[in-house]
Amino acid sequence: MSRADAIPAALYHRIVVWLLFLILLTPLAGTLLYSLSTSWSASILPDGLTFKWYLALWSDQRFLDAFGQSLLVCFGALALSVLLILPLLFVVHYHFPKLDGLMNILILLPFAVPPVVSSVGLLQLYGSGPLAMTGTPWILIGCYFTIALPFMYRAITNNLQAINLPDLMDAAHLLGASTWKAAFLVVLPNLRKGLMVSLFLSFSFLFGEFVFANMLVGTRYETLQVYLNNMKNSSGHFNSALVISYFFFVLVFTWAANRLNKDKS
Amino acid sequence: MSYLSIRGLHKSYGTTSIFSDIDCEIGKGEFVTLLGPSGCGKSTLLRCIAGLTEVGGGQILLDGDDLVPQAPQKRGIGMVFQSYALFPNMTVQQNVAFGLRMQKVAKEESAERVREALAMVELGDFAARYPHQLSGGQCQRVALARSLVTRPRLLLLDEPLSALDARIRKHLREQIRQIQRELGLTTIFVTHDQEEALVLSDRIFLMNAGQIVQSGDAETLYTAPVDVFAAGFIGNYNLLDASQASRLLDRPVSSRIAIRPEAIQIGSQGKIEAQIRSHSLLGNVIRYRIEARGVELLVDVLNRSADDMHANGQRIALNIDANAIREVA
Repeated sequence: MSRADAIPAALYHRIVVWLLFLILLTPLAGTLLYSLSTSWSASILPDGLTFKWYLALWSDQRFLDAFGQSLLVCFGALALSVLLILPLLFVVHYHFPKLDGLMNILILLPFAVPPVVSSVGLLQLYGSGPLAMTGTPWILIGCYFTIALPFMYRAITNNLQAINLPDLMDAAHLLGASTWKAAFLVVLPNLRKGLMVSLFLSFSFLFGEFVFANMLVGTRYETLQVYLNNMKNSSGHFNSALVISYFFFVLVFTWAANRLNKDKS
Repeated sequence: MSYLSIRGLHKSYGTTSIFSDIDCEIGKGEFVTLLGPSGCGKSTLLRCIAGLTEVGGGQILLDGDDLVPQAPQKRGIGMVFQSYALFPNMTVQQNVAFGLRMQKVAKEESAERVREALAMVELGDFAARYPHQLSGGQCQRVALARSLVTRPRLLLLDEPLSALDARIRKHLREQIRQIQRELGLTTIFVTHDQEEALVLSDRIFLMNAGQIVQSGDAETLYTAPVDVFAAGFIGNYNLLDASQASRLLDRPVSSRIAIRPEAIQIGSQGKIEAQIRSHSLLGNVIRYRIEARGVELLVDVLNRSADDMHANGQRIALNIDANAIREVA
């Protein structure tokens, strides 16, 4: 390609990227502006700017509760995932590599069954009897665990395959480490990247989850998305402030966690 | 008395036998090689000695001490893997110090020993690097230092050079041999590369299909193969059946014979008439494919001058050194 051809091509690529960026950002920018405007109905630009919607939102006890409850359910589900999936992965890949095929089918199930269908099933199972827990955060934590499972299983499996687990374990054993020590000192630190990536991904997904939260628990343990749904008849400015706050929180959280996770090497 | 003795060792997975009735004796400070094609059981045998794979039965005595019931951590064995198996989250220094950390060696002593081990493999300046910042050859030298620093009673090398390119492989194998001699370390080296085995070893155990076929020093294995497999695996032997051999040598021969390609001389005068079919230049050696009395033979000639070059189709005469003709089972 000659230089003369290269410039329009580069320009074209730039324009496509910027256009895409614009399409993605416009609704967000509109929502941001709406959340900051006093009123905005008959004119192209808002009548005036104000922080009062944010002040109203962040001083609403019900919002703060929903925010905290959302965080609690998400972190609970992720903690459960880490506790169960890490040892599971270690056992599957170190002792029973053949089970990986079965696991790959199992982890597809949460995606294969639509949330509405599986929540009806969960309501039937856990609505009564010895394990009655619909309407409590526990059922949501359990349910969110199944949603996080595929993300975590896949990401950490890729990570495990990249480090050649059997040889690392053998080397550590011959250097005098017990299986526990080898797992904690050699394997676990090498899974940090896969673990963190899958945790962020699961967190952003779960924090915005609505269908399960609404059907399994509803207003009895209101999460952020259920709260947003319940507030849909209030002021649009207020709801915009809520959406922007939610978006901003996920953004800052992911950025901060990413910063903390930067490779020292 | 031998330092390591393996007696009646066998291993199988289900009904598939990996190796059976392995017996061998290895002296202190000896460098022995397990040589054989892939799947012959040599790596599994090495892993059994290390304790990474359970044996089916038999004894492994190291300095009179039965290793079979002991966990790999307790055996005092160092091992280097083909994949290096360096810990990616640790620096070179931390990798080498890992074994000492497990043995709870004091910090100052550990630092000193790590420094010595890294100096031995000429990587003293690389202590602060991570494995992903090193080349393959450097990684394998770190792995070697890591297994030496704990002063193992036995060093096992599982195809440590196979993943490296030819030049680095040659350099590293010399380095391994030199360090092994300096430390007087009993070493078992596993490879499928006959050249590596011949160059490095005090003794070679040639394995095939889970059995030790032949053992001896490099010269014995090269010049006196015991059977067709040994002759076929080491060197580029010409293997002739009894009828081909009788025709070529013009006398009755009752068994198969093996003739080394460099033991056949080509000249203008000789006992056997032959014709050049094709040739290839391997650098210092010219390899001819010739036909004599209806038998095809490989002949290696040292490429000393233009006189050693013969054109395809040229008629020549052969002389075969009688001592180089070996009957094989």
